[in-house]
Amino acid sequence: MKSLKILSVVFIGCISLIGMPAIAQEAEKTTLRLDLTYQRQENGQLPMLKTSAKTKVGKRFEPVHDVEINFFFNEESSKGFLGRIKSSDKGTAFLTIPAAFTYELDTSAVLKFIATVTGDEKFEDISSEIEITKAQIELTLNEEDSIRTMKAKVLVFENSSWKPAPETEIKFVVKRLLSDLNAGEEELYITDELGEASSEFALNIPGDAEGDIFIAAKIDDSDVYGSISSSKGVKWGTPLQSDNSFAKRTLFATRDKTPLWLLIFPNLIILIVWGFILYLIYQIIQIRKVGKAHKNV
Amino acid sequence: MSTLSQVSIDKITADLLPKKFGKPGIIWTTVLVMLSIGGIIGYYRQVQNGLGVTGMRDYASWGIYISNFVFFVAISLVGSLITAIFRLTNVSWRTPLTRISEIIAVSAIMFAGLIIIVDMGRPERFTNLFLHGRLQSPIIWDVIVITTYLTLSILFLYFPLLPDLKIMIKHSKAGSMNQKIYKLIGSFWQGTAEQFRISENAVKVISIMIIPVALAIHTVTSWLFATTYRPGWDSTNFGAYFVSGAFLVGAGGVVVAMYVFRRAYNLQEYITEKHFNYMGKIVVMLAFLYLYFNINEYLVPAFKMKKAEEHHLMGLFTGEFSYLFWSAILVGMIIPIAVLLFPSGRKPLPMFVMGLFVVVGAWFKRFLIVTPTLLSPFLPISNAPESYAHYYPTWEEWFITVGTLAGALLIITVFVRLFPIIPIHETIEEHSKAHKL
Repeated sequence: MKSLKILSVVFIGCISLIGMPAIAQEAEKTTLRLDLTYQRQENGQLPMLKTSAKTKVGKRFEPVHDVEINFFFNEESSKGFLGRIKSSDKGTAFLTIPAAFTYELDTSAVLKFIATVTGDEKFEDISSEIEITKAQIELTLNEEDSIRTMKAKVLVFENSSWKPAPETEIKFVVKRLLSDLNAGEEELYITDELGEASSEFALNIPGDAEGDIFIAAKIDDSDVYGSISSSKGVKWGTPLQSDNSFAKRTLFATRDKTPLWLLIFPNLIILIVWGFILYLIYQIIQIRKVGKAHKNV
Repeated sequence: MSTLSQVSIDKITADLLPKKFGKPGIIWTTVLVMLSIGGIIGYYRQVQNGLGVTGMRDYASWGIYISNFVFFVAISLVGSLITAIFRLTNVSWRTPLTRISEIIAVSAIMFAGLIIIVDMGRPERFTNLFLHGRLQSPIIWDVIVITTYLTLSILFLYFPLLPDLKIMIKHSKAGSMNQKIYKLIGSFWQGTAEQFRISENAVKVISIMIIPVALAIHTVTSWLFATTYRPGWDSTNFGAYFVSGAFLVGAGGVVVAMYVFRRAYNLQEYITEKHFNYMGKIVVMLAFLYLYFNINEYLVPAFKMKKAEEHHLMGLFTGEFSYLFWSAILVGMIIPIAVLLFPSGRKPLPMFVMGLFVVVGAWFKRFLIVTPTLLSPFLPISNAPESYAHYYPTWEEWFITVGTLAGALLIITVFVRLFPIIPIHETIEEHSKAHKL
């Protein structure tokens, strides 16, 4: 009896211990991780901010969707409020900086951006900020004696003017449908004291019908400059001959473009076989005629 | 005919004229009607709610409907085997079996066409197959060849029926519905020498023509599969494999029908043990032939066991479909061979059981040809619900499938009620010749 009592106490104790963290957990909010990055496709274009919201599930970070992220410029106030975006299924949220901030963007040398999550039911308040030194890339594409050269000059905005940015990592790429293709001999180039880097273009790749391709020089995911790029169209690709096989007589074409052999032989067989069938039906008519004639005799 | 006494002629006529259903006949027909209605209910549900009511999904997009279609096409080939090949090769004992095999062929091919429409998600667009069909597609070849074979089979049934129609008009109740039907389709038959000449000539033409058309119908059906690049279907052997299987199931079907009609209409004098014995030998030969093609179809790929085919083959040999696979091989081929090789196995009852084995085995064999391949795509199934990796027919599919099988049997049943299942005129002619000798 005594042992039964002890067992009951131990059982209730265990249940309480198992249950308590669950109750406590309900009240607790989860910690969120917010990564903020800066991107600008072309010089003079409005930049874009990207955040990715994640939370730790077990030992892995999982994306968090449908969480509202606030974006600010310079300060977390109504004056610097850029906008509010809900994170996607992949936990990402993109915001193009509104045109109303063009003047501030143009005149500032260093751009400060803040992303916050506040007052969320499930997650603790969190903020993330980045400081970007405003930079731009000037891309020059040149062809001399059949040698094609890509040259990029990186400039930073200092004391109201653009100055060369030495020792900066830069890539030359060709923009393709799904991702960028490395266009240089090396994957990365470092700018010299003039802020310049260059590479020969030796790829033989298809372009559009005119042979146009888009070459870009880009700084990827830099802590100082963010992700910026500059691109230009040039006729350095092989003109693409469009595949017109659908307009020809093929097995996969529409019915009006059936291959001739497939049109002739089956139809010939069909005609012969159905010719015999019509002959047989005619024989029934003949039997009928003979029968009627015999009846009348 | 004059050498055979009038008494004998009257006896043959009385024996072979279609008879009213007895109690078992009424029960049998009622069951078939009910099963057919069940099929219509299932199809109504499918039309109302779409193909989503079936077990078919992204991968198993062909299920028991297409298996059933292949089965129907296969069994329909018996028309050309018994009627045409036996006629051309002067097989003297064929007479009692010709009409049985032709009506099986007609009813099966009709339901083969019907089940294709059942498998269509938008049946109201069926006419588009004719209006906008592309000759590049094997599906359109099948539509053409099925229509041709059905027409030829009906003609093959009709021409030899003409002399019997005259007998039936004479022996049916004046003014009855049956007599009206007989008169509508055959009152012009007077039995003149000229009419016989034209009819026999026509039958000869059909006998020759129907053989390539019959081979084409099942070869084209096999091409529906073989022209696609998939494990289990990518075979140059498929046409011959399908045709040999079709002859087997057709012969099995005729054996079953022979036994049933013999018992139901007391036709022991006409469908004799000799017929069962000969048909038994034919079934054994065809079973061996089909077994040979099966060995080719499975052993050769299994010997190579290409990675892409492994999932499919192992699924059949030891996996999800193994019970069905080995049962189909055993029931559909091995056991019938083992039993029918011995004279005692070629007696009517064991023949009937083996015929059933062959037919049932053949139906499941068609399922094993169609569906497991679809569940073994070259790119492994991914990003799909677990249920998509398997196929279980729903009750609607079973109802429709059983309904079509019942419908085909119903056509045969109604035909037998209206027309003699053994040609009367030909039988009298045969007896006359025998009497002369």
